[in-house]
Amino acid sequence: MFGPRPAFSGGIALPRREPRPGELAIRQMPFAPSLYLPLRQHAGSPAVAVVREGDEVVRGQLLADADVEKSVPLHAPATGRVLSIIEQPDPAGGTVAVIHLAPFPGDTQEYPGGPGCDPETASAASLLAGIRAAGIVGLGGEARPTHARLRLPPGQRVGMLVLNGIESEPVFSRVPAILREHAVDVLMGVRCLLKASGAGRAVLAVEQHDADTAQSLLAAAPAGLPLALRVLPARYPQGAEELLLRVISRAPRRGSGGPVEDGALCFDLATVAELGQLLASGRCMTDQLVTLAGGALLDPGNYRIPLGTPLRFALEHAGLRPDPARVLLGGPMRGQALASLDRSITKDTTGFVALDRNEAGMPEPPMPCIRCGECVAVCPVQLHPAQLGLLARKEELKAMHEEYHLDHCIECGCCAYVCPSRIPLLQLFRAAKAQWRRRQPAVAREDAA
Amino acid sequence: MTHAPQSLRLAAAPHLHGGNAVRRLTLHTVVALLPATVFAVALFGLAALATLVVAILSCILAERLCAPRSTLGDGSALLTGLLLGLSLPPALPLWMVAVGGAVAMLVGKRLFGGLGGLVFHPALVGRVFLQAAFPVAMAQGWLAPFASGRASQLPGTSLAAPFMAPEAAYDGLSGATPLATARLGDGATPLADLWMGTVAGSVGETSAVLLLLGGLYLVAVRAADWRIPTALLASVAVLSGALHEFDPTRYPGVLAALGSGGLMLGAWFLATDSTSSPMTRKGAWIYGLAIGALVVLIRQFSGQPEGVMYALLLGSALTPHIDRWTRPRPLRSRGAR
Repeated sequence: MFGPRPAFSGGIALPRREPRPGELAIRQMPFAPSLYLPLRQHAGSPAVAVVREGDEVVRGQLLADADVEKSVPLHAPATGRVLSIIEQPDPAGGTVAVIHLAPFPGDTQEYPGGPGCDPETASAASLLAGIRAAGIVGLGGEARPTHARLRLPPGQRVGMLVLNGIESEPVFSRVPAILREHAVDVLMGVRCLLKASGAGRAVLAVEQHDADTAQSLLAAAPAGLPLALRVLPARYPQGAEELLLRVISRAPRRGSGGPVEDGALCFDLATVAELGQLLASGRCMTDQLVTLAGGALLDPGNYRIPLGTPLRFALEHAGLRPDPARVLLGGPMRGQALASLDRSITKDTTGFVALDRNEAGMPEPPMPCIRCGECVAVCPVQLHPAQLGLLARKEELKAMHEEYHLDHCIECGCCAYVCPSRIPLLQLFRAAKAQWRRRQPAVAREDAA
Repeated sequence: MTHAPQSLRLAAAPHLHGGNAVRRLTLHTVVALLPATVFAVALFGLAALATLVVAILSCILAERLCAPRSTLGDGSALLTGLLLGLSLPPALPLWMVAVGGAVAMLVGKRLFGGLGGLVFHPALVGRVFLQAAFPVAMAQGWLAPFASGRASQLPGTSLAAPFMAPEAAYDGLSGATPLATARLGDGATPLADLWMGTVAGSVGETSAVLLLLGGLYLVAVRAADWRIPTALLASVAVLSGALHEFDPTRYPGVLAALGSGGLMLGAWFLATDSTSSPMTRKGAWIYGLAIGALVVLIRQFSGQPEGVMYALLLGSALTPHIDRWTRPRPLRSRGAR
């Protein structure tokens, strides 16, 4: 209550469980007998397979690629045989081609990599090409190809890089693990990103509980690296890019343009570490750092999981109890409850939570809004969730968007978390946004993209 | 890949909840009112007890009979009945109390659409109806504090049959409230009596100290917004202090103004009702300041000895406007506008 003031109003103090030391360590997950690789693992156009059924592939070999601007290549996460390439339902809607790969036994899985790259001598253009060729996409949720974010419209410059070392939800523990085990990679990633973007300096933002670890990472930085540390009091959801940039710059942002206009570009810490590691070793992205959490797991923690690993295999490896109540893609605040475990680890997954009966609790029926205003007080982007909730019930989509700015909602779930009437505000807003998008003519959608 | 476990359930995010609940809010409010309630029964005896019981029962009965589905579980009917009972004169005929309870729930709550739909606090609606319908009984229902025989017998007025002329309360035991005394120019009540509550007055409005304690509890457990009572009491203190400074013989001092009438009950327990108060924090300040100003205005410059009830109603009528003035502006569009 008397700690340093958060730099944005609203938000909530979420209970945070101190991770046990064993959970923090990053553990390598073995290869599953079958890997399923959907060809859309990033925002933008899906990739097209360049291998055929029956082909034998080597770990790190190119499996699929697509248009240079909006897509990234996909590489074989393991040496093995392509069993099939078939169209399957995409969890995000529609269908997507999925490569079914059967890895060979573990002793054949050597991955030597290629020539590393040196940010001191490489040009910005060659770094961008290298980032794309390694198949890197933003790891903090949206999965936009990283090279596309770095390529600015003509006439724009990036002044500052922000390394987002704030967990999207407190249940995840990737940040301390990366700071501890991938300090060298983070520093390498920073150097590459500074060169590729032309930014003059970088700021690493972490919350209070990771301050010490981040401090020791900074101490290991080479002299002259323009990297500063910014420690923030823990408060959900300041890891959201929109809020973090605001907190870091401490200045009100003008207009509703993207982060680039402000001269600051935000990257997830895991992306930076991945990028540093891959560019230095000349390898490509073949696995993903994922937190598996929740009371239904005997052995929760941070795992490095080969891309395409079936979720069921991953959870069972982490000691999934026989009867989980709910499995979430993402954290408990914004994560989506999965109807089935038939999906695989992709480049855009950061964590899963398997809730046991206790944690899942019993759903309580919503009551009428009593206008207490708690949701208004916690909304970090200063919307009016109560009014939006009433409008949602009446399906007043136009008023919700044009008068009450629902499009600014970052879907953090704070409003529903504090609601004494248990009104499912986040769900109402997500549904209303989707419905509104469908109603917009296709041209407007193109402009927005 | 095999099939998902049979038990995998779907639910919408967030999958965590802070634990706040309507039921929790009302029950905390009831608990916060307990000290004042117990004191009221000690002070006015059976009359107070009967008034409270009848008020609560009539509210619960009205809710049970007329709500489309049973909504008693949220505790709001219990709370409304308790607040109504606490705000009535102790010797008011019990049938009037019952009518007040029914009006509170049916007109104050049900007609406006039930929980969350209200514009005015239902307990206030019940009380203002009684004030308008039975002004004489309301003006004569006062009892002297610690009257002898209060524990064993009900005053005659309490048991009066509907629409019959009531008998006198206890002979010579009815008392005048401090605000009425001050208005009549009969001198000021000692401040200690006023704050401790050993004076004539409504059932649960007399003890400012116990109500203040209850209010602080309410704020401490975050069941009420502290901004509203703070603004309201500050506004009353400043305005009545200024008036007292201007003419000490005509206007009571700050402590007398804060400790008398229904101010404490109103400020901590009625004004903080979430539904009839504004939703934003800025709005809460405006709301409290406005009600405080109205209280002083009505007390000192109208024909009424007590103005808290009307001030609260007028304040609630302002709520939609305050909400419109203080509507939050989205983060991203700031500065651009």
